[in-house]
Formats: sequence, C-alpha cells, structure tokens
Amino acid sequence: MKIIDYKCPNCGSDMVFDSETGMLSCQSCGRNDNINLIPDPLTKNVFSEDETTEYHCKSCGAVVMTESETAATVCSFCGSVIVLSERLTGKLTPAQVIPFAISKEEAMRAFRKWCRKGWLTPNGFMTADRIKGITGMYVPFWLYELNNAIEVHARGTKVRTYERGDYKYTETQHFDVYRKIRLNYVKVPIDASEKMNDELMDKLEPFPYDQLKSFKTAYLAGYVAEKYSYDDKELFPRAKNKISEYIESYIRSTMAQYTTMNYTDKHIDTQFKHAEYTLLPVWVVHYDYNKLEYTFAMNGQTGKVVGKPPISMAKVTAWFASISGVSFLSLKLISWMMGGGFW
Amino acid sequence: MRRSSAIVTFLCFFAVFLAFPLVMKTGEAAAAEMKQLVYDDAGLLNQEEYDELNVMANQYGVRRETDIIILTSKNTENADVEKMTEDFYDKHALGYDKPHGNAVILTLDMKNREVYLAGFYKAKMYLDDDRLDKVRAKIIPDIASGDYMLAFQKYIQTADKYMGFRPDMNPDNLLFNGWFQLAVSLIIGGIIVGMMAIRSGGRVTVNRQTYEDAGTSGVLEHRDQYLHTTVTKQKIAKNNSGGSGGGGTTSGGHSHSGSRGSF
Repeated sequence: MKIIDYKCPNCGSDMVFDSETGMLSCQSCGRNDNINLIPDPLTKNVFSEDETTEYHCKSCGAVVMTESETAATVCSFCGSVIVLSERLTGKLTPAQVIPFAISKEEAMRAFRKWCRKGWLTPNGFMTADRIKGITGMYVPFWLYELNNAIEVHARGTKVRTYERGDYKYTETQHFDVYRKIRLNYVKVPIDASEKMNDELMDKLEPFPYDQLKSFKTAYLAGYVAEKYSYDDKELFPRAKNKISEYIESYIRSTMAQYTTMNYTDKHIDTQFKHAEYTLLPVWVVHYDYNKLEYTFAMNGQTGKVVGKPPISMAKVTAWFASISGVSFLSLKLISWMMGGGFW
Repeated sequence: MRRSSAIVTFLCFFAVFLAFPLVMKTGEAAAAEMKQLVYDDAGLLNQEEYDELNVMANQYGVRRETDIIILTSKNTENADVEKMTEDFYDKHALGYDKPHGNAVILTLDMKNREVYLAGFYKAKMYLDDDRLDKVRAKIIPDIASGDYMLAFQKYIQTADKYMGFRPDMNPDNLLFNGWFQLAVSLIIGGIIVGMMAIRSGGRVTVNRQTYEDAGTSGVLEHRDQYLHTTVTKQKIAKNNSGGSGGGGTTSGGHSHSGSRGSF
C-alpha cells in the first residue's frame, strides 16, 4: 500500500488543489504548479486487492482510519493531504474528473444564502449558524453512453367536433402509425457511491461537461474522494430506468399531431456502449437543527443546493391562509365584475 | 415577526369585511317604514308568521328597490291565476318607487292549486321568465307539502339574491357560489403551498434533451396510414324549452315577466 501526498518542492508544506486557479498551490509560499505538467505517481503503482482501512500519515505518523470506500482524505491530526493510491489504480482508476470550481468559503456563503431563501423553513434555520461540517467530496459516477433502437406500432386518432343544425358531430379519424427511431444518449450520470442518496444526486445535475478533465491525482489534493461501490454493469438497470422516461417523451413528441395514441407494439432495445468512471465535485453540508441532522449537497461547479430542509408549520399555515384569502377575495371580485354581486 | 403581524392585520380586515354587510342590512331595515307586502287572503299563515314575513319582505325589498309581494287567494270567482295577479297589481297600484312601479308578485291560487310569479319594471328586467322559473322550481316542493312559511321565505331570499346579478348572467353559475369560491381558494392555497414544500428540497432541472446526442438521434422511418373515420352525433340540448306561461301585459298596460305552474 502506498500513500501519495503532495509536498511543496520549495518549502515542504502541503499543496492542495485550488478551485480558483485550477492549479496545485502551496498555501505557505504561494507556489503554483500546473497539474498537467507534474508526473502522476499513480501510473507506476501496482494494484492490490487487500482492503486495508488503517494507514499511517506520511507527515506525522499518526494512524489514519479510513472507510473502505475512501480514496482521498486529509489527516485529521496534521491536515496533510492523503491519497490512497491502491484505491485509484487498476480498474479503480477514474477516467475523468470535473474539478471543484467553488471554494469552501464560497460554498459556505452560497449555502447560507440558500438557507435564507427558503419560504417554508423556520426562522431559526435560516440564520444557518449551525453548520456542523462542510466537506468537499469527489463522488464516483458512471457516465453511460447508451444507444437505443426503437420501433413503435400504434393506433392514432384525430378528433374534430363541429355543429350542424341541432346536432353536435364528433368526427374521429383513425390512423395506423409506425415509427423507427434511433436515440443515443451520452454521458448519462449515475452515482456509484453507496453512501450518497440517489435522489439527492439526481437533483444535483446537470454538471458542466465542458469542465471534464482527464484524471490526475493532484485534483484530489485537499479533498475527500471515494471509490465506486457498484460497477458499471450493476448500475446499468438504473441508467436504463433513468433514460426510459426520456425515451417515452421522445416517442410521444414524434406523434404530437394525434389526439389520442394507443401503442399496439413497442420495442426498445437499449445497447450499453460504454461507461466512463468519473469523479464529480460535491460539497456535502451537515447541519444541526432541533437535535436533528440534515444533509445537503451542493454541486461543486454550479452551486446548486439540494436536500430537504425542515418545514415550519407556522409558515405553512400563514402562507396557506394568505394565499387562500387572497384567492377568495379575487374570486369574489371577479364574480362581482361579471355582474354576480359581491355577496 | 413582521410578516406574521401583517397576516393578523389582514385577517382582521377580512373579518370586518365579512361582517359589514350584516351591519348595513339591519341599519337599512330600521330606517324603512313598514308596508303591507303580504296579502294572505286564503289564511295560510298565523299572525306570528304573517308579521315575520312582512318584516322580512320589507327588509329585502329596500336593498333591491322592489316590493316583494305575496298574495294567497281562495279564488271564489274562479279567475285565471295570471289575470288575478295582473288585476291585483293594477288595483293596488303596487310598486316600490311609485304606484305601478318595481314589484315582484307571488300568487297562490288555492282553488286550482296554481302558482304564478310576475315581475314588473326593474323586477321584470332582473327577474325574467327564466329566473322566475328557477324561483318557482325552488319553492314548488314546499308549497306542495303545505310548508307555506318556508316556501315564502325561500321566495323572498331567492328573489333578492337573483336581483343582485346582472340580467344577462346565469344566477346559478357555479362561479357565483360562495362555497364554490371558498373551496377553489382553499384548493389553490393547498396546491401552491404543496408545491413550495416539494420544491424546497431542490428539483430536477435536467430534461430529455440534456443527455441526448442530437447529431446521431432521430426518426429513421415513419408511416402514418389513414384507416377510416367514425362519426358520432349528439343532440344539442336547448335551454328555452317548456313555455310554462311566461309574461304578459296587464289591462292597465303594465308589461311583466312571468312563470306559471301547478302544485
């Protein structure tokens, strides 16, 4: 087993990835290194299967306990960067990474701002003064490329109504409809971490794919990273499920001219082209409120915040009463203007 | 805290607003002088009921500037109920604003068990044949079962209510129904607050186009073959059916709207 750390060649301090400059920077002497130019120590490593969870920090010698998914972390004693190389090599080597664009301070500020915006969150929560911890985490994702061959047979109708004399006529035209569609999806992200809530991760999308970089270990310096818990084959059903609603809506959009649609035969053949192992940046915020812990996630590129905040019943009641009251008065006013009398 | 105090103010304002018309109504009634509006020649009501109805008719009439009149008759001369109503109007020179003015008359012919409703002047405009038909439909069951007091109260209330709507509107339009308005407002409030609660946790902002490779995707083959056409027809229901009486003109030359029926 080998631990990778990033020590500044000038002063020996720890170097971390700087989300502003996109370089490996030294906090002490201000040295900046271009990540693409420094050699990646990973490539020289040999993959080993053993699941160690105890490491010794190279800087201070303290015991660093890690969970079996952790691929990168920070020594809790001296703050040194620790990258666990065996969890990033072999089939665990990420193909791509989107680095953080939002620093810890910016993330804190953005989160506080988001808390104040909540219309139903209790006032005590809005002050956002109980942030228990904020962690910059590279979450493992699979980016799927899926090709779909679709064939649909359907009965469509076009309905027209008109009046003639004392009768109302309803004319229904029936059609035999056939569509052959090729539908390709690229970079469909599915989160591969067991720890992260799938629903939460889905809401974090979209990630800006123009920021995708080929993986360099140095991007992880100063952040926490995880290795995937499920491989691309295991998550294929989830990916298929995710695009199935997109496919449905695409099929419907090709038949928009019909009033009603009845599928007689629908065949969707989803082909798994390949999936790329990618680390995506997420700020994870733990927040204490009313003795309960809430977890929020922030997209490390776009700053989008997701997670269920507590809901204040008083605010719900107040909003409900005012909205209903205003609607009631407006309805009264409308009926009065239509000549209905106010009471 | 500022927001909640604003809400309390709003609710107080709302309560005052609700109470206001009631205050206005009693104030008006006290100021008006009492007229005889109930002519119970058939003796269907006792003294107590008679007084109560007369007060009620006076109160409601002021607001609509219309005399709301009830006539019951044993009809010993066996006159036609419509003719009886017209002659009664001519003879007594009824009307709120002037002799032969705004009035609505409900006549009960106890001999032939017939009922007639007539609206004069303002009441002719606001209580046209259709609306009088609606009033009649509401009170006929109570008259048939002998509950005259209840029927007369309903008549006064309904006539008053309908005169509050512009002549070209359907007074039974659901939109004008207070309970309907309340229900709709509560539903709107519930939906909006529900949406706020659901969206508080963030929402999905990707759609089917986000991950679609538009360059290589598309419809390869399509066929839309016409098969056949089916036609169904439905008779359009006409509203102005069943001419049960309608209006007319009195011998004194006053035209009126009307609705006639038996019980």
